[in-house]
Amino acid sequence: MAAKIRIARPTKIELARLKRRLRLATRIQKIIKDRLSILVMEFLQTVRESAEVKERLQKEYEDAYKALSLSLGYHGYAPVEQTLMISEMPFSLHAATRNVAGVRLPVFQMEENREAPQAVLPAGNSSLLEYTSDMVRKCLSATVELAELQSALELLGDEINKVKRINNALEYVVIPGLDITIKYLSMKFEERDREEVARLKYVKLLIEKREAYAY
Amino acid sequence: MPIEQEKDDVMARYLGSELSSVNSQLPKKRKTLSQLLHEEHPRVCCLDGSEHFFRIDELRYLASILDDHEREELLLPMIIEVHSGMSDMLVRSTRGGDEGAVEAKVFANVLGMPASMEETGVRIYRSQLGAMRRTLKTTTQYVFTL
Repeated sequence: MAAKIRIARPTKIELARLKRRLRLATRIQKIIKDRLSILVMEFLQTVRESAEVKERLQKEYEDAYKALSLSLGYHGYAPVEQTLMISEMPFSLHAATRNVAGVRLPVFQMEENREAPQAVLPAGNSSLLEYTSDMVRKCLSATVELAELQSALELLGDEINKVKRINNALEYVVIPGLDITIKYLSMKFEERDREEVARLKYVKLLIEKREAYAY
Repeated sequence: MPIEQEKDDVMARYLGSELSSVNSQLPKKRKTLSQLLHEEHPRVCCLDGSEHFFRIDELRYLASILDDHEREELLLPMIIEVHSGMSDMLVRSTRGGDEGAVEAKVFANVLGMPASMEETGVRIYRSQLGAMRRTLKTTTQYVFTL
């Protein structure tokens, strides 16, 4: 993209102002590039973690369904359904935020309330149902973890896009525009200086000629 | 021309605000590990008014590798200074006589290799950053400098 020359007043003050702004823009671009590289690194790491958790979750759900079908087969549908209806899992979910390079990401902390009374299983003290319950608890914990990672991915992706746009604007529009305007102004002032020198030389010549005629 | 001037001013203001907002996630005041371990929901306030939460598992992990005295010395979150255009980063320590000794111990444990200590803090490299951030997600934070 061709950079545009934008000058409000072709003065030396304006030139100094533009140079100052170019320095600022270059500094910001450096920082933004760093931030972008950090965000991309965090994004890729979150993708990797998310894939791992998904795989684990799938395996845990598989185990949980297997355990549930075993329980159903052993106890029958009605007692297990009755158990599921009255049983509860005592836990609390604390939602907060953490900050990664200026992006606020969610953090979910699942806390099991061990003091709360455990539900009594109508099917008796069945080890199968307890095992199923353990499996489901693991699934829930992995689901919460995956939810956190997925929302982090979305937020990081959005931020990366935003930072990339700012970086591109600085790299391809703002900095070249400032560069070209500074160059144009510098050339203009050099030209003005050269004209001034030529004018002074001409005036000096005229004065010398006048003095020569006077004698 | 006056319109162009107005645009330029907007851009200058935007660039200025961008620079100040890059590091707005820094904590107002850091807390020691032992302080955080006693809190029910450990967190610190950031400069932009938001809150940065610490995972209890991470705090417990840090507590397991440090002794009581070191727990009092370690300030969290640990700040990782990212210098523009450089491949290494610095983790500064502001407490204790031996600058960065506690942080160096933490990183050595996390990375499984000794961390390089300097006068100003602990130096880590970009290749090590991934492994470190994976373990210490909430107990480390970035700051961008020139």
